[in-house]
Amino acid sequence: MINVNLIVNGDAREIAVDPRLTLLEVLRENMLLTGTKEGCGVGECGTCVVLADGDPVTSCLVLAGDADGVHIETIEGLASNGELSDVQQAFVKTGAFQCGFCTPAMVLTATALFRDDDQPDVENVKKALAGILCRCGAYPKILEAVAEIKGVQT
Amino acid sequence: MTTYVGTRAPRVDSVEKVTGSAIYGVDVALPGMLHGAVLRSPHPHARILSIDTTAAAAAPGVTAVVTGRDFPLLFGAAIKDQPFLAIDRVRYVGEPVVAVAAASEAEAQEALDLIRIDYEELPAVLDMRFALSDDAPLVHPDLHAYERGPSDIVPHTNINTIYRYERGDVEAGFAAADYVIEGEYSAHAISHVALEVHAAIAQYDSGSGGYTLWVSTDRPFLLRNELAGGLGVDSSRVRLIVAQVGGSFGGKGVPVAEAVAVALARHSGGRPVRVEYTREEDLVASQHRVPAIMKLKTGVNRDGFMLARSAEVLWDSGAYTAYTVGVAIRGSQTIVGPYRIPDLKILSRQVYTNKSITGSYRGYGTTQVTWACETQMDEIAVELGLDPVAFRLQNGYEEGDSYLNGQIMHGVGLRETIEKTAVEIGWGAVEREPAPHLRRGKGIATMIKPTMTPSSSNVLINLAQDGRVAVICAAPEIGSGQDTVLAQMAADAIGVPLDDVSVPRTDTALTPYNGPVASSRTTYHMGNAILTAGAEIREELLGLAGDTLGVDAEGLELRDGAIYDLDSELRITLKDLLAKYSGEGYSITAGSRFSSQGSPLLKADPGEEWMSSIFWMLCTQAAEIEVDIETGVIRVVKIAAAADVGKAINPMTVEQQIEGGAVMGASNAILESFSYRDGRIENGTLADYKVATIQDLPEIVPIIVESVHDEAPYGAKGVGEPAAAATPPAIANALYDAIGVRIKDLPLTPEKVLEAMGELDAGGA
Repeated sequence: MINVNLIVNGDAREIAVDPRLTLLEVLRENMLLTGTKEGCGVGECGTCVVLADGDPVTSCLVLAGDADGVHIETIEGLASNGELSDVQQAFVKTGAFQCGFCTPAMVLTATALFRDDDQPDVENVKKALAGILCRCGAYPKILEAVAEIKGVQT
Repeated sequence: MTTYVGTRAPRVDSVEKVTGSAIYGVDVALPGMLHGAVLRSPHPHARILSIDTTAAAAAPGVTAVVTGRDFPLLFGAAIKDQPFLAIDRVRYVGEPVVAVAAASEAEAQEALDLIRIDYEELPAVLDMRFALSDDAPLVHPDLHAYERGPSDIVPHTNINTIYRYERGDVEAGFAAADYVIEGEYSAHAISHVALEVHAAIAQYDSGSGGYTLWVSTDRPFLLRNELAGGLGVDSSRVRLIVAQVGGSFGGKGVPVAEAVAVALARHSGGRPVRVEYTREEDLVASQHRVPAIMKLKTGVNRDGFMLARSAEVLWDSGAYTAYTVGVAIRGSQTIVGPYRIPDLKILSRQVYTNKSITGSYRGYGTTQVTWACETQMDEIAVELGLDPVAFRLQNGYEEGDSYLNGQIMHGVGLRETIEKTAVEIGWGAVEREPAPHLRRGKGIATMIKPTMTPSSSNVLINLAQDGRVAVICAAPEIGSGQDTVLAQMAADAIGVPLDDVSVPRTDTALTPYNGPVASSRTTYHMGNAILTAGAEIREELLGLAGDTLGVDAEGLELRDGAIYDLDSELRITLKDLLAKYSGEGYSITAGSRFSSQGSPLLKADPGEEWMSSIFWMLCTQAAEIEVDIETGVIRVVKIAAAADVGKAINPMTVEQQIEGGAVMGASNAILESFSYRDGRIENGTLADYKVATIQDLPEIVPIIVESVHDEAPYGAKGVGEPAAAATPPAIANALYDAIGVRIKDLPLTPEKVLEAMGELDAGGA
């Protein structure tokens, strides 16, 4: 076991974990933050994306030990006091999800994108979201959601 | 009057899905839970000579090791041919052979390495055509002896389903035709690729002999019945608790992880056992679309009227029949397409092969036969010099036409779907080629699908003391937005705010029977049940209000949670009314069952009523594509997709289905295929089995057509399945339009495009 200082959604805590565990496993199993999903476990589907120091990473490919001291944001941390973030609200308004399994990753990645650039063009949006599969094919409405957010921020 | 029906109400599952609080099957964890792992067959066909589990059983953390000999039971909805774990013989690469339960997933996995199995390899059947030949080994020598339903098999062959249909005199029809075309078309195996993999937790109760499962399924009662049938217990002894479902598309209806979890639970002393497939297991060993080879012959007269069609369809069920028999029967009927053709003959046969099991895939056979039908429609139009749009309109079903069995069809918006997609895609207008190596083309395809008939839905609606309403029904939300649609209908049927309506998750011990969340049937069937139960609750509330206010209930109305008199004067809010009864407590419950059985709409020729459908789904798509003549790569530029949905209860969720279906259809057509070597799938990862990403997204224009159906709830039919079927032929027809290349076997790979272009050049030279 190794001790890891995990900072998740602003809360820092020291936990002892098996060094073989991934960040995804620790988030889901040790911290019970099941909003982060596992769709393949090998970095191919993108449903496990969390933000690490603000950047989207596939948490199934990160060892928990390597997340020591890194600021991790998961989907559970986005709404504050029950108030949905702009991105979450846009997803709701436009219906940018169906089964919802990829939604946490989509919402987090879109959130990171807007922090860097509040008027991303559609090609950059597609590039940013290309690593996350949505088998329901919510893509058109996800682009609508992004357009909605741009509207909010101008 | 409706407040919510017909509006783009936000989905009722919005907040839980955008905040990550939604609990899916893979998120469920129970105290004391064990973890299962599965050792799978490395051979497509082999006899199991011996299994040594001694070392595995003694490994750290291991609590149970179970083989088919320990659990020698068979299940199967139509034919009871599938073992929970292989018994004596394995029939496909990836078939579960030994299951291990351990304290942790890692320990269970490690124990698998300690199991020794001796196999004697047998000749395998890896091709469905070979399966028909006299030389083919039998995948199931005991086929004739299995318990089975009413469908026909051919004993002592690999044919597990045979179905024939004939109407009129097809030979006379061909003789009368001015033009007869024949072709062979094939549709390949594809994976559902629900982002949530197959997973189940099972727990055995030795006291009752019953099982409880926590699952992710679209068919709670059918799955329950199938498991109970296999386990040999009364169906209510198997209880299924269904979480949110992370995608299904027809793929989560038969026992997959459930079968393994149940076998382990039986040997785990009452502790719950969780089995979660890896993505590779999910791709290779869960379930695929039923591959089909379709020979289609059509006779047309010189005026463009279709006279006769014969079809010979061969379906590949894989190693077990699972849920394929209906595909082979109902699916093959649909090869006629939405067209008036007097003389018909269909022969449909389905064979076992030593490949992964197959089954329902968003359309239950429709995606395959639509591929054949609509590709050939285009060929005929080209051959006769007819416009593909006009040719389809000329032969397509209209309101009041007779279906094959003589059923008079109502709610037939086919014409409008064709006309509107044609306009949207700019039919007839030639697009400028953007570069010398790029060619543009447009294609159109349409489709028809019945819904399973008869079938029934039950609902219990409970209005609680605080005015909140629970719509209790076994209709899991698989992503299609139906919780929202059911809640909208309930809110209007009763007269309460949508925010006050919820649809609790399914639990077969608590929720009454419902047919599957399949066949696009839920809105129609559960909607009708909700209308009746909702009206009953409304009446009771108005009676209560009348008594409380001392007025005649006939003079009151309930709208959006408030009671008005006939002058629209607010008399009392529902919450205030119910608060008056808080001392004694108050709750209203109403139940209703809806079945399509007995509807006069189903009347048909004697003996053929079973082919009727309570509603018909019609959908047309037009695609514009761009093909790179140097690389053969097809890029879909635009898809105009129209679906006749009767009435869109929620236009936003209907658009989601239409758009998502087109995304899936395009992905199926261009990107997806399995690569096999000696019966083994070589590309069992999402890196190698490609599905569409947002970068593959064309412009999609969803078009909602609302034909009139008198028995539908608020007029609503279904939309989930048809949305994906017309896309592949629309794209392939656009490919022909672009470069004159006709590909008849899916998928449309760059290699095939280049090869066909080469043949074209050689032929022209």
